[in-house]
Amino acid sequence: MIFLKKRRIVLDFEQHPRLKEFKFSFSKILRNPLSFIGLSLIFLFLMIALFTPLIAVPEKPEEPFRIPHEGYSVVPKPPSPGHPFGTTTKQYDIFYGVIWGTRTAFRIGFMVVGSILVIGLVVGSISGYFGGIIDEIIMRITDIFMALPLLILAMAIVTALGRSLDNIMKSLIIVGWPIYARTIRGSILTIREEDFVRAAQAQGAGTLRVIFKHVLPNAIYPVLILASLDIGAMVLTAAALSFLGLGAQEGYADWGQMVSLARNYIVGPQGQPFLYWYVVTIPGLFILFFVLGWNLLGDALRDIFDPRLRRK
Amino acid sequence: MNFLNYIIRRLLLLIVVLIGVTLIIFALLSLFTPEQRASAFIRDIKQLEHIDSIIKTYGLDRPIFVQYFNWLREIFKGNFGWSTTVSRPAIEAFKNFLPNTVELALFSAPFIILGGIWLGSVSAVHHDKPIDHFTRFLSIVGWSLPTFWFGLVLLMVFYGYFRGLFPPEILGYKAQVFVESGEFVRYTRINTIDALLNGRFWIFVDAIRHLVLPVITLTTIQIALVMRIMRSSMLESLGKGYVLTARAKGAAPRTVIRRHARRNALIPVITVSGWLFAQLMGGVVITETIFNRKGLGWWWAKAATQLDIPAVLMAVLFNGALFVVINLIVDLLYAYIDPRVRLR
Amino acid sequence: MRELQSAESVLEIDKLKVNFYTYEGVVKAIDEISFALEDGDTLGIVGETGCGKSVTVLSILRLILPPGRIESGCILYGTKDSCIDLTQKNDEFMRSIRGNDISMIFQEAGNALNPVLSVGYQVSESFLLHRQQELCESVLNRIAEKRDRLSAYQRFRTWRYRRKLRKAEGNLLKDRHYGRLLKVEALRWSVDLLRSLGIPNPDEVVKRYPHELSGGMQQRVVISMALGCNPAVLIADEPTSNLDVTIQAQILQLLEDLKERYHSSILFITHDLGVVSEVSDKVIVLYAGTIVEFAEVRELFKNPLHPYTSALLHSVPHLGSRERLESIGGNVPNLVSPPSGCRFHPRCPHVMDICREQKPELYRGMEGADNRHLAACFLYQQEGVA
Repeated sequence: MIFLKKRRIVLDFEQHPRLKEFKFSFSKILRNPLSFIGLSLIFLFLMIALFTPLIAVPEKPEEPFRIPHEGYSVVPKPPSPGHPFGTTTKQYDIFYGVIWGTRTAFRIGFMVVGSILVIGLVVGSISGYFGGIIDEIIMRITDIFMALPLLILAMAIVTALGRSLDNIMKSLIIVGWPIYARTIRGSILTIREEDFVRAAQAQGAGTLRVIFKHVLPNAIYPVLILASLDIGAMVLTAAALSFLGLGAQEGYADWGQMVSLARNYIVGPQGQPFLYWYVVTIPGLFILFFVLGWNLLGDALRDIFDPRLRRK
Repeated sequence: MNFLNYIIRRLLLLIVVLIGVTLIIFALLSLFTPEQRASAFIRDIKQLEHIDSIIKTYGLDRPIFVQYFNWLREIFKGNFGWSTTVSRPAIEAFKNFLPNTVELALFSAPFIILGGIWLGSVSAVHHDKPIDHFTRFLSIVGWSLPTFWFGLVLLMVFYGYFRGLFPPEILGYKAQVFVESGEFVRYTRINTIDALLNGRFWIFVDAIRHLVLPVITLTTIQIALVMRIMRSSMLESLGKGYVLTARAKGAAPRTVIRRHARRNALIPVITVSGWLFAQLMGGVVITETIFNRKGLGWWWAKAATQLDIPAVLMAVLFNGALFVVINLIVDLLYAYIDPRVRLR
Repeated sequence: MRELQSAESVLEIDKLKVNFYTYEGVVKAIDEISFALEDGDTLGIVGETGCGKSVTVLSILRLILPPGRIESGCILYGTKDSCIDLTQKNDEFMRSIRGNDISMIFQEAGNALNPVLSVGYQVSESFLLHRQQELCESVLNRIAEKRDRLSAYQRFRTWRYRRKLRKAEGNLLKDRHYGRLLKVEALRWSVDLLRSLGIPNPDEVVKRYPHELSGGMQQRVVISMALGCNPAVLIADEPTSNLDVTIQAQILQLLEDLKERYHSSILFITHDLGVVSEVSDKVIVLYAGTIVEFAEVRELFKNPLHPYTSALLHSVPHLGSRERLESIGGNVPNLVSPPSGCRFHPRCPHVMDICREQKPELYRGMEGADNRHLAACFLYQQEGVA
C-alpha cells in the first residue's frame, strides 16, 4: 500500500520534470511537419502489419509468408483485378508479397535494433561506468569493428552461417552493436560527472541504483534516436543483403528479394521501356516509405533532443 | 619533430588495428572446415586434387593461432592467396580493381561533401523556414532510398528509356578495346585521367557517361550524412557568442555566415567526410554491383558470397589500413582548421 | 521626425517594448522603458539575471533575433539637431552604425572571440568594415612616401586606385592587389590600438589565437575590437563578471581611461552593485523588464527610494558591518504572465491596493528635487510625475 501511495504522488505531480519534458517533446514532434509525416508513415505500416491476414488472405494459413504463385511463367504480368499490383517473374503476386513483407520488415527492424540496443546498453554501461582496463579493452574492440568493411563482413557471415533471413539478422547484430556501446559509453561518461549523480552517490546509493535510476534515464536519449534511425537503416541493409541473394528462399515475402526478382525486367522490350515498371517500382517504394518514416522520425527526434538546439 | 612523432605514433596504431581486424577475421575463420580454408593457398584449380596435402603443408588442421602466424608469414612474403572468384592472385586482382573504385570515389566525393556542406548551411541559416524543411526532407528521402532499387530505377530511365544515354559498366565496348590496345598508355589505370593524358577525348567522354549514374546514386544517398552534420553544427555555431560579436561589429550576414560561423561548423564535418571517403574508397558494394562496375566492392561482394577467403581478408586489411590513414589525414586537417587543436 | 528630449543626450530610449514569442507563450521581456544616455556620461544598468538588461542593449543595436521582436518604442541616436530613430532603419543602415557609432563589449570574452580566427583579424575586422576610406588614404600615403622606388606600372595602378577611391564605389576589399594592402594596413592599426590599450607585445598578440591568451587579455582584445572605430556610445555588457577581482579592477580602470581619451559615452550593464558604484555616473535599476529607479550613483546608494532597490542594497554584504543579510522574499516573476500593475508588488513589503491594479510611472523622489532621482513606485506619487 505504501508503495502504491508513493506511486500516486509521483503521477499526480503533473509537473514531474521528465513528464513535462516528454510532453514538450511530443508536442514538438506533432508540430513539425517532417516528423508528423514520419509518424504517419510508421502508423500506416503498423496498421498494415497488424491487419495483414485481412488485407492479403493467405492461401495456406500454415505458411503465410510464402507468396502464392500461379504457374511458372517468367514474364511478369501487369496489374489486373486478381493481382492489384501485378505479378513478378514466376508469377509471384506482388500485392501479397509487399503486404506480408511489411511484417518481415518490422520483424527485421525490431529484432535487430532491439538486440543491438540491449547488447550496446549492457556493454556500454559496463564500459562507461567502470572505466579503467575494461573500458580500454571494449573500446579497442569497437575501434576495430569501426575499421572493418561492415557490409562485406555481414555478407561473409551470412554466407558462412548459411543463407537465410535469420542469419542476415544475426550478422547485422554482430556488426551493429559496437556503435551503440560507444554512444552509450560516451553519454554515460558525461553524465557520470554531473552533480546529481555525485549527489546520489554521496547519499549512499548503490552502483546499480545509480546506473538505473540516475545515469541511464539521462544517457539513453542519444541511443534511442540512433535506434529509431537504425530501424530504417537495418531494414535497408537487410534488404540489400536479400537483394544480393543472401536472404530467404525464393518466394518468401521480403521486399529486398522482390526487387531482386525484378532485376531482369528493369528495361522492357524495344519501344516499351517502361513495360514492367510495376515489378521493380512497387516493392522499392514500400522499402523507401518504410525507411523514410523511421528516418523522418529519428531526424526530428535528434533535433528535438539535441541539448544544443533544444528550446530554441 | 613533434609532427613527425605524431605521424609515427599514428602509423604504429595502424599495425595494432590491422592485427585486430585480422584477429577478428580469424576468429570467424575458425568456423570453417580446413578444406574451405585451404583455398587461401591454392594458386590453380588443378591443385584442388591435392587439397589434403595442402592442408598438411600449411597446417590448416592445427590450432587457429598457429595458423594465424603462418598466415602472417605468408603475408609478409607478399603472398595474399588465390582469389577463386576472379581466378587470379588476390594481390593482382586488387591492383586491377583498385583504379575503378578510386575513380568512382574521386568523382562522387566532391559532390557529396561540398554539396552536403552547402545544403547544410543553407538549411541552418534558414532554420525552421520552409526551405529548411524542404532541403531536409529531400536529403532524408535520399538517405532512405534503397541503393539497389534506386540504381535500378535510374537504369530503367537513363539506360532503357533514353536508349543507353548513361550506360552501366565502366567503358563502352569500343573504348574498352582501344584502352586495352597497345596504343593507349595506362599511366594511372584510372580511365578518365588516362584518357586526358593520352589526349583521347572520346574515351574521356565515354568514361564520364558511364560514371554519371553511379555518381548520382551515391550523391543522392550519401549527401544527407554530410548535410545533417553540417546543419546541426552550423546551427550551434550560429548561436555562439562570436557570431553575435561579429554582428555587433557591423559585419554583413554573408560575412558572418561565411567567415565566422562556417569555419567553426566545418570541424565536425571533416570527421564525417573522412569516414565517408574511407567508405567510398573501401568499395561501394551495392553501387558497383548494380552498375556492374568491376571495382573492389564488386569483387568483394562476389568474394563474400562465395567464401573467397583471401579476397575477404584483403578487404579487411585494406579497409583497416584505409581507416587509420584517413583518420590521420582527418587529424591533420583538424589541426589546420582549428588552431586549438595541437598535435600531441 | 522625433527629436531628442535633451541637448546633452546622445541616445534616448523611449517606451521601448520587446517581446519574445516562445513555446511557453509571449515573454514580455522589456515593457515600455525609457531612459537617456548623456554625452560623456557612464550610465549603469543594474538588475538581476533575466531582468532584461542584455535584451535592452541588444535591441539598441537591433541585434534581437527571432523569436524576439521590438514591438514599439523609439531608439533615438544623434544630436539635438539631427537624430535618427534606429527602430525605423533597415539592416544595411544598422550595419554602418554597429561597431562604428555604437559598439558593444560582451560578457565572457572567451565566447565573444572566434576560436578559429587570429586576434589580429578579429581586431582589424572593424577597421575593414567601417574605415575603408581612411585605410586607403593611409595605404596610399605609405606608397607615396616611397614613390620614387615604384615602377611605372605600379604608379599607374596607384593612380587608378586613387581615382577609384575618389569615386568610392563598391567594396574596396575586393580589389585584388589593394585588398591585401588594406588588410595589412588594418593589421598595423590593430597593433597600434592594442598597444594603446596597454597590451604588452602587440605584434605577437595579433598573430595568436584567442585560446592562447589569458582571460584578462581576451577581455582587453574584446574591448579593443569595440573601440577600434572610436564609437560615440560604448555598450559594456557585464565586461568584468567572469574575471578575477584584480583583473576586474584593471579592466574597469581601463574603461575609465578610455572614456576620457575617446570622449565616448558608456552604457554599463552589470548585476554587481560594487562595480556599478565604481564606474557609473548615473544608474538605472531594472526589475522584470521595467525601470524601477533612476538616480545619480551616490544618491542611489545613500538614499534608495524604491523598495526593490533598498532590498537589493540590503542583500549585499558591507565590509565591517555584521548585520544579517536580507534576501528578497518570493521569486523573480515569470514574464509570460507578469504580475498586474507594478511588477514588483507580489514581493513588495509596502504593497498597496493601487500597486496591484495600476502600473506606476516614474515619480520624482523628493519634494523640490529635480529630475535626477526617480522611482516607479506609488509611494512617491504625491511628488508628481517627472
